[in-house]
Amino acid sequence: MTAAAARPAPPRPAAPPAPPGTWRLAHRDRSLLVDRRAATAAAVLAVLVAATVAVGLALGTASVPLNRTLPAAFGVGEARDVLLVQQLRLPRIAAGLAVGAALGVSGVLLQTLARNRLATPDTVGLNDGATAFATASVVAVSTSITPSAFALVGSATAAALALGLAGGAGRRGYRFLVVGLGVGAALGAVTQLMLARAPIDEANQAFPWSVGSLNSRSATSVTVLAVGLAVALPVAVVLGRRLRLLRLADAVVTGLGSRVARVRLAVIGTAVVTAGLAVATAGPLGLVALLAPEIARKAAGPRVVPVVGAALAGALVVLLADLLGRTVAAPLELPAGLVTAVVGGPYLLWLLLTTRTRRMP
Amino acid sequence: MSLLEAPGTQPAVEAADLATEALDLGYDGTRVVHALDLRLPPGRVTAIVGPNGCGKSTLLGALARVHGPQGGAVLLDGRDLATLRPRDAARRIGLLPQQADAPDGLTIRDLVRYGRHPHQGLLRQWSPEDAAAVHRALTAADLLELADRPLDTLSGGQRQRAWIAMVVAQETAVVLLDEPTSALDLGHQLEVLDLVHDLAAQGRTVVLVLHDLSTACRHADHLVAMCEGRVVAEGPPADVVTPGLVRELYGVESVVLRDPTSGTPVVCPVRRVGTR
Repeated sequence: MTAAAARPAPPRPAAPPAPPGTWRLAHRDRSLLVDRRAATAAAVLAVLVAATVAVGLALGTASVPLNRTLPAAFGVGEARDVLLVQQLRLPRIAAGLAVGAALGVSGVLLQTLARNRLATPDTVGLNDGATAFATASVVAVSTSITPSAFALVGSATAAALALGLAGGAGRRGYRFLVVGLGVGAALGAVTQLMLARAPIDEANQAFPWSVGSLNSRSATSVTVLAVGLAVALPVAVVLGRRLRLLRLADAVVTGLGSRVARVRLAVIGTAVVTAGLAVATAGPLGLVALLAPEIARKAAGPRVVPVVGAALAGALVVLLADLLGRTVAAPLELPAGLVTAVVGGPYLLWLLLTTRTRRMP
Repeated sequence: MSLLEAPGTQPAVEAADLATEALDLGYDGTRVVHALDLRLPPGRVTAIVGPNGCGKSTLLGALARVHGPQGGAVLLDGRDLATLRPRDAARRIGLLPQQADAPDGLTIRDLVRYGRHPHQGLLRQWSPEDAAAVHRALTAADLLELADRPLDTLSGGQRQRAWIAMVVAQETAVVLLDEPTSALDLGHQLEVLDLVHDLAAQGRTVVLVLHDLSTACRHADHLVAMCEGRVVAEGPPADVVTPGLVRELYGVESVVLRDPTSGTPVVCPVRRVGTR
């Protein structure tokens, strides 16, 4: 028997009490803290999203009873139900889920980075960049490259222009935001110019990118978005934990050993990818990235940066907007972007008029 | 006995030797600190004093890696601070800058938990050491009963103690505090400075930037007087503080008395003389 084997293993310290409002999941030396309120909020939002998906699959110009909807989604039931639910509505709703989630994530990342609720992919020019490039791919440049790739390049270009002109992300990203606003306005003008000069057929084809709608998505862009989200969402969740810290002053964060500049660039990069891919699929759905993080923050409380919550809230907003757009004025269809703008506009106004000079978010 | 049953247990703090070597600091072409050689006595309270804009806060920031040197180096136990990984450096050096603010709705405990960041990781989010350190920090700052109150409901003194508790929970050998008592009334100032004394008594090297020269004399073991980016005097307050120094730093003629209770210098300003 060796000396090492004879010696008893050092006693492992007892599990520490989890801080109030959290659950501690531990295995040996590894531990995770889950915020109870944020987890509950995410669960509730997930249930609401599931319910909206179910209703969205059932309702339409020709409705399918709810009890026949779920089987039909899996291809079981009458041929008519299967056609309506599985072939026509399911892809559209899947696209809505992904677009909403991507915009929600992009919004919550940018808002927290800038500590400003008005900082979203709409306002810092990412959506405008994506729209301009996607429009160009339809009306100006004849190419086989998908609008997805173009939109991604567009939002990255907008971010790169803004970063370059602002000389880096800067303190709290303020400069980046202000310059982004200008870059976005310029790129928005480019889009309008292209639409005005394009032949009417091509302009029509590009029209969805100027309103935002789930009607004209391409299957490829949805696939690309889904793959992008599968990578970006886990990255965003990790970044969200880092961003909790970045809500404090830069000097405090540096003192705590976090690489502020690196986290900031990673956050902007993730926001660019998610916003770009979402716009490529559905065009610039206005204000989703503003509303979704707000809903998630209200629900999840002040301790966390609710990345998952914002993704779910984004999906919820887009699905509800699309559902409203499809049903309210049926058989006329309103683009989802119009609905989000109608709902989000007054909210934005209220926000601008009531925002106190307080630390955000 | 677990650590948690003995909240008063002192954390094991290794003394750290923090020094600067020919340190140049500045922003965009303006040189703020020139060729500074400084050694901060381990396990003691050092106060950095000087007129506004003399480079005190800039120096403190450089000691905590907030800005990199334009020349020279900050040395921690003889090693260039810039070569350490940020997380490793943050386990040795803690900083409380001025004007720290926090998101609305956070509680004291939430804030103090941030201090554990350099000791945590993606898969090590809450260890027994973290729980013990947060508990000790809250105890040291006398905030245990208030721990679950939101920060925005606290008084200025309580809030400042909460921020210091965050740095205490970091359990670093060096603690840097930038004007921790500004904007506090006399009683709250003493609360904070008593806490500072306790930190040094545990073997930590404490560096304060202070506005008030008499407060610095009363509470620091070692005084560093800076003017225009250079150290003009350094040593125990009783040896360093003279009417001549006060004139050099602030352009003020003064009488320097002895504090009847502590024997430390007390500065009574008489009038401005306009050498500055």
